[in-house]
Amino acid sequence: MTVQIDNRLSDSPMFPVDCGRCGAQVLARKSSWNQTSVQWTAGASAACLERRDPHNSAAYSGRDVFLGCSALTGSIIGAVGDGDLPVVDETVSTAT
Amino acid sequence: MYNNDMTLQSNTDEIREIDAAAAPTRFARGWHCLGLAEAFGDGKPHAVNAFGQKLVVFRSDDGAINALDGHCRHMGGDLTQGEVKGNEIACPFHDWRWGGDGRCKRVPYAKRVPRLARTATWITSAQDGMLFVWNDPEGHPPPPELTIPRIEGATSDEWTDWHWYTTIVNTNCREIVDNVVDMAHFFYIHGSLPTHFKNIFEGHVATQYMTSSGRPDLGGTEGARMLGTTSVASYYGPSFMIDDLTYHYENADHKTVLINCHYPIDANSFVLQYGIIVKKSEALPSELAMETAVALGDFVKMGFEQDVAIWKDKARIDNPLLCEEDGPVYQLRRWYEQFYVNVVDVTPDMVDRFEHELDTTSPREEWMKVVEANLAGRSVAEVI
Repeated sequence: MTVQIDNRLSDSPMFPVDCGRCGAQVLARKSSWNQTSVQWTAGASAACLERRDPHNSAAYSGRDVFLGCSALTGSIIGAVGDGDLPVVDETVSTAT
Repeated sequence: MYNNDMTLQSNTDEIREIDAAAAPTRFARGWHCLGLAEAFGDGKPHAVNAFGQKLVVFRSDDGAINALDGHCRHMGGDLTQGEVKGNEIACPFHDWRWGGDGRCKRVPYAKRVPRLARTATWITSAQDGMLFVWNDPEGHPPPPELTIPRIEGATSDEWTDWHWYTTIVNTNCREIVDNVVDMAHFFYIHGSLPTHFKNIFEGHVATQYMTSSGRPDLGGTEGARMLGTTSVASYYGPSFMIDDLTYHYENADHKTVLINCHYPIDANSFVLQYGIIVKKSEALPSELAMETAVALGDFVKMGFEQDVAIWKDKARIDNPLLCEEDGPVYQLRRWYEQFYVNVVDVTPDMVDRFEHELDTTSPREEWMKVVEANLAGRSVAEVI
């Protein structure tokens, strides 16, 4: 049972982004200004400083759920500003 | 911004076909909750149809709860119709005695037990009032890091007891797991109004973080009474979800823990269970808290019945056609796949962290039109 490819990624793939804080590289995709997906690697997870802080994992429940890294979020926004990461909403707009 | 031209941008006349391989006949590796432990604690054998087999579950005199294959290796007698004798289950056919370790301990009419007199067993664990079994087609013991987390409220006097439901659903269990990412169905099927929606998959844990607002237009329901909910729900492994779920009301927040778990009967049916505990508070003293647990339980039950109504007739689909406002269905299934392959075949993409935060702006604009139309007692068509 092989999982098929997300049709949305065929339309617009993920791009590498480096975190400005820890240097970890992830793949990111911004569907809109408020919609982001991030593919981490084991190396990136191990490098992330916020992820290592147990307070960040316990904030929403008693269990180990780390919702996201604020430094990485900032770097992704920066990558959009620098033109390194397209926002799908806007690329689709200009295409029509 | 999207406009109508763009949603019609596809320039091909090709028909999109639905792909669907048969549901897997292999069953997921992981801890599965069979229900409340007290249901198995009466010293009688209990039949559990799970993992394509019939299991016998019984508490032996030493207090352990044991899970064995339900059929005697002697002549195939049904152990679930047998009797617990001491620490063993006795077959109703010829009284062969099987221990919790799966070994035949005694054949009362024989001088000795034959060699190879061993049957299949499942490792069990009773925790927080629930009974779990470890299923692994490869037969390895459960790694400690996969232990189901403790639920603090479950053993605390500050919380109610479990309010528990069990029901059988006649479809493959992938359908219920898909709900983790299906933001839009929470509006269309369950009448909630998601305001924030994020998924995180990492290791063996898949999380859904969701806030939602109430549905003032759905009079007479919990959805109308509450202002909204905050929910952090995680699957720990393939089948056991713990949801820290807070209901926000005008005068108070009600903290609850909702368990949503299942175990497969076979490839095309599963037992769905859900349990609720509610935290007692000044606003919710003991009795009222239990009433709230029951009321919220009924509300959750209604929600699952709404899902079941869809699952009953929907097609299995391996290639869902997604819009940007849908959740990460493919990435969830990639995560879920780790439980259906041998441990050595688990690939990094199944377990590496993946995050998906949804933009709820566009869905909410649409759904608020529906809410407002309902409140005004008009059809949506009149409003738009």
